[in-house]
Amino acid sequence: MSLQTCWRCLARASSQSYPTRRPPQKPWTLYPASTAAFTTSASLSALPPKKKAKTPMTEKNIKGSKKTFIKKNKKSQRVDRSKKPAIGERRALRKRIVLSNTNALEVQGLKDITAQSIADQDLRGQVLGIPGLVVDQLRAVEAFKAAQGWPLFRRPAMLMRKDTLDLATEIENISLGIRDKTIRRVFVGERGSGKTVMLLQAMTIAFLKGWVVINIPEAQDLILGHTEYGPLPSTTPTLYTQRTYTASLLNAMSRANPILESFQLSQPPAQNEIPIPVPPNISLSRLALLGAQDPEIAWPIFELLYRELTLPDRPPLLLCMDGLAHAMRNTQYISHTYQPIHAHQFTLIKWFLDHLSGASPLPNAGLVLASTSESNSPVVPSLKLALSQLEGNSAVQKDPFARYDERVLGVFEKGGVEVQRMGGLSKEEARGLMEYWALSGVVRQRVDEGFVGEKWSLSGGGNDPAHLNSPGRSRVPFTEYQQTVKKAKSIVKQRIQKSRSGQQRQSEATGPPRSKRVGSDPSGERFALRF
Amino acid sequence: MVYIILGFNFPESRLVLKTVQHFYGIGPQVARHLLARLHIHPTARLSSLNSQTVLDITAELSSMKIENELRRELRVNITRLRDMGTYRGRRHAMGMPVRGQRTRTQTATAAKFNRVERLG
Repeated sequence: MSLQTCWRCLARASSQSYPTRRPPQKPWTLYPASTAAFTTSASLSALPPKKKAKTPMTEKNIKGSKKTFIKKNKKSQRVDRSKKPAIGERRALRKRIVLSNTNALEVQGLKDITAQSIADQDLRGQVLGIPGLVVDQLRAVEAFKAAQGWPLFRRPAMLMRKDTLDLATEIENISLGIRDKTIRRVFVGERGSGKTVMLLQAMTIAFLKGWVVINIPEAQDLILGHTEYGPLPSTTPTLYTQRTYTASLLNAMSRANPILESFQLSQPPAQNEIPIPVPPNISLSRLALLGAQDPEIAWPIFELLYRELTLPDRPPLLLCMDGLAHAMRNTQYISHTYQPIHAHQFTLIKWFLDHLSGASPLPNAGLVLASTSESNSPVVPSLKLALSQLEGNSAVQKDPFARYDERVLGVFEKGGVEVQRMGGLSKEEARGLMEYWALSGVVRQRVDEGFVGEKWSLSGGGNDPAHLNSPGRSRVPFTEYQQTVKKAKSIVKQRIQKSRSGQQRQSEATGPPRSKRVGSDPSGERFALRF
Repeated sequence: MVYIILGFNFPESRLVLKTVQHFYGIGPQVARHLLARLHIHPTARLSSLNSQTVLDITAELSSMKIENELRRELRVNITRLRDMGTYRGRRHAMGMPVRGQRTRTQTATAAKFNRVERLG
């Protein structure tokens, strides 16, 4: 006799009063009951929400008697009563930078980073807070990115890793006048390896040291074709200015660099240079604001400001650009002959790349830093080739079928550009970072050597080639690791092939299999799978 | 603020690309070329233009064959075909498909548009 219910239905929750064969499972709890809830907000102690009153199926008409049917009014039903977001609201939400979380625990004893102890090697592996004033400056130059995890902590802080301390030493040397050459560097590395954060750390240190920082937070913004552009007169090949973007850059410079207030215009500009009269003793900060207020004169003001900043007795400069690959290709802008305009024809990009290539040196020394991106990056074979060759990777050769852009290769032709590959953290650095997480309430386990070692090993053991020879690290180099994986894969492949051929031999011995043919192996012999 | 271009009023929030496409004879391609000639980016709105650029747009549009002038040319072309007694002219006059389409069904579009005094 067959069952009246199907087997599948038995698996469902039964409404039978007698117990089923399987005892009911206990509900899963995320945390054991002994641990306290992390959040300190009052939502847990709040009363449960009130139940909404059910909407009556009847409605009253004017006379007060009840009607059984609700009048169907299709037109009114169709009206979308939802509140539309205001113009720019969604964009503002998307771009919003949250740097503080009051629910996160305050880290006791978190030291702030200071200008004096910036290059102290003892700081390696420690997390230091960014002082509030510098946070404002970094915010002004848009050094923080939305997806960097700042909202997880009470206040912004950064890990002093080896690369940070090396960079800090270089900045210190330039500030002290020990080194008078400009350092030109491109950060490369895998996604999430800390390239953009290195730029942020460089800016932090530069602000602390009283440098002037000019940051282009995303090169993509310059090429997407959504800001105003126009040709610069009497230039061949035609150069294009982006007046609105330049104005906003001047605004950021003025807000982020209070040091500009202490410098005055050295000499009044020529009349044909700036179309408006400029007061003779105007401070450089006010000059930048003049350009910020009037996009029409933004580019001439920017040029003038930059010239003033490169005079003797001015502070060193830090120039930064993120998303370098975007600045190495044709833009979305179109010329008057309906041809795409190359990124290098835009004055701001050209200005930055001239400094990166060394065509325009910084007289007061400084740093020119650029960073590539792995999460938002167009394919630019020329840049890839140039960076790999500068990195000393001779395995990357010119692809005969790829198109290379001479303009891009020309940027790196002069030499002098360093390529720094960012990688994972060392174990000590990882420990410092994880202790900071634990103190902030992000990690709830006990952070000891075993825990750090486990997480560090699981995450690839830090894949930073710069740390390979450091003592206390017994890890496999990344290339070696790749080779090992390759070897393991080939062994598995061989085993599979072997087992298949064994199966075939067995099937030949036992006669025709009870299966259908599904294909043939690479050697041309037929094989079959049993079902 | 309302922008007046060739006698038409446009709100300032309107995209320049869409504004110029308002005129008969300017489609997406022509609009893009027009904007490129004047160095206006495709996402620009009327509010972001200075007065000189608005004048430039008006000047460019005035030099183009658009609106009534283009409609007139179209009508003249059809009238010429009809006067010559060509097949195409006759089909226009009859409100029938001109280019060999079937007439058993689906001639609504032809009936709508094909006439000697075609509107545009």
